[in-house]
Amino acid sequence: MFSFLINPSKFNKFTDIIFKPLVFISSVILIVGLILVYLSPLDYQQGLTVKIMYIHVPSAWLALLTYAIMTIYSIIGIAFKMPFSFIINRAVAPIGAVFTLLCLISGSLWGKPMWGTWWVWDARLTSVSILLLLYLVIIFLNQTFENRDVREKTIAIFIIIGSINLPIIKFSVDWWNTLHQPASISKLSAPSIDGSMLQPLLVMTIAFSLIGLMIAVLRIKAEILIRKNH
Amino acid sequence: MLLINNLSFFRNDNLIFENVNVSLSNGQVIQIRGKNGSGKTTFLKVILNILISKTGEIFWEGQNIKKNIFKFYNQVTYIADHNTSSRKLSVLDNIKFWKELSSSNLSDDDSLLLLETFNLKKYLNVETMYLSSGEIKKLELLRLVLEQKKLWILDEPYNHLDDLSTEILNQTFVDHINNDGIILFASHYNPVISKLEILEFN
Amino acid sequence: MILIKKIFLFFKRESKLFYRNIVDLFSNILFFFLSIFIFVFALGTDEQLLKSIGLGIIWSLLLLSSTLSLRRFYEEDFNNGVLIIIHMRGISYELIVFLKILSHFLFVQMPFLISIPVASLLFNLPIYEVYNLMITFIIGSLILSCLSSMSASMNLLNKANFSIGGIIVLLFSIPIIIFSVGINEIESDYKSLINILIGIALIFLGISPWASASFLKLAIRNK
Repeated sequence: MFSFLINPSKFNKFTDIIFKPLVFISSVILIVGLILVYLSPLDYQQGLTVKIMYIHVPSAWLALLTYAIMTIYSIIGIAFKMPFSFIINRAVAPIGAVFTLLCLISGSLWGKPMWGTWWVWDARLTSVSILLLLYLVIIFLNQTFENRDVREKTIAIFIIIGSINLPIIKFSVDWWNTLHQPASISKLSAPSIDGSMLQPLLVMTIAFSLIGLMIAVLRIKAEILIRKNH
Repeated sequence: MLLINNLSFFRNDNLIFENVNVSLSNGQVIQIRGKNGSGKTTFLKVILNILISKTGEIFWEGQNIKKNIFKFYNQVTYIADHNTSSRKLSVLDNIKFWKELSSSNLSDDDSLLLLETFNLKKYLNVETMYLSSGEIKKLELLRLVLEQKKLWILDEPYNHLDDLSTEILNQTFVDHINNDGIILFASHYNPVISKLEILEFN
Repeated sequence: MILIKKIFLFFKRESKLFYRNIVDLFSNILFFFLSIFIFVFALGTDEQLLKSIGLGIIWSLLLLSSTLSLRRFYEEDFNNGVLIIIHMRGISYELIVFLKILSHFLFVQMPFLISIPVASLLFNLPIYEVYNLMITFIIGSLILSCLSSMSASMNLLNKANFSIGGIIVLLFSIPIIIFSVGINEIESDYKSLINILIGIALIFLGISPWASASFLKLAIRNK
């Protein structure tokens, strides 16, 4: 049933069916999310700037998710010699980089009015900027080697080693005393955020994920075509 | 005794050569001839298992070389078309390194005598980077005698050599064949050696 | 027995090559000291300021100067085919890489150990910081040698972008610098940080022969 996740031709067939609905649904959810964000209440401390959160949190979440997906595919690709996972690595890396950059920029815009500075060397911020560096090196590596096998394996090994950074990002707010606030939403405990703010945040997260998925599908299809022609 | 069975090689899905069958018994010398880019060097590298072929088998003294690769390597001297001498080391250092690495039991006097025949003795303590390209090639060819192996595989051994050195090299080949050695080399130059057999590549 | 003899032979050759290339080492050390002077000129000669940031500057410059000699790690032996010849005489590529890492550690990194006290003098570092710096550098440079081996062997396959090797070494050396500099903070646990560094060194010493050797094999096949 899930073989479209590892088989290029099945992936093509599957995405041909779902792509148009995906575009429609993601645009609807994005519009709904933006309206909810517009209607959401102002924070009594932060005022209007709290609305940066609706961009900042989903992009941070997607930056991490993209890297996690790349790590899983790299392990699969090396263990079972599956070329499709290398296609995904190559296609998805720029998307992750863009989301990380978006997260850093929105965080910096948020930090200026709240903390009084664009940038602090705090554990969360530093580890996310290292994530951006990892993404950039992966993109560079993609354009470096001429030999395709070498390139794909090198990048996969690099991604696996770099995934050490993911738990560091996740737990940095718990391990070190930082300026950055700890996670507001987690599965295990009740969210420490009010329902009127949680709702638009969740909708925006879904919208961002669907948009990311949409771009990823386009890029993966292009990558499959390129690989076929070489 | 070297036996090559049905050897084919593809590089990035391009066929380089196909179904080559060669058998070399003791005291045989074979020259590989062919145009530039016809795959002579690739063929030698495939035999040495530096490049790995998908089809075909190579046997050395009845054993598949892929399974006994170090046993095979222990009987081979490979002279590539580039120079393995280190530019920063002196001639003596290079020779000592090769000799000890291949655990050959050639005496020091004999190796000095070898240098004498190729007229290299005056450079004994000179760094290799100051030698001319012909002299570096001659130094490289000394490995044939220094390492004392049975199978010689050479890639373009006649490049950069003058007439006298070519003569000496031919004589070395003949001596090696008479001692039951085996020689396989690729070259554009057509040397005058009795018993020379030719393998055409295209 | 023969293998041990060949390993000694390898080290003898490396030491001879080190002796011939000693100018290279001196120019690396010169680069190190010149950068320290440039830092001091850029920051001014405030003694208290230099004392507080000296350790960080010395560590980052040590990292930068060790990436200078990165390209020479395998390139010469690879280009003239010595690697193939050594391999054909019964030493596996993994062992070659391991020996190369050890000789890089001994002949390229260790000479820097002499220059560290001199550099610390220039910043008026307290004696326990100099001591810590030298201990952590001995362990950290072993990790650096492993990283250099991996990125240098990767660079053999790479015909377009040579600076990527240095970038990768610097990226992975971030943990080294965090733990090595963190050792001097008062509240940090000295022993556990040293143990963490040794652990990282052992992990890299285990991974890098395998990783570098597979890059070397690929590079030789694609030459």
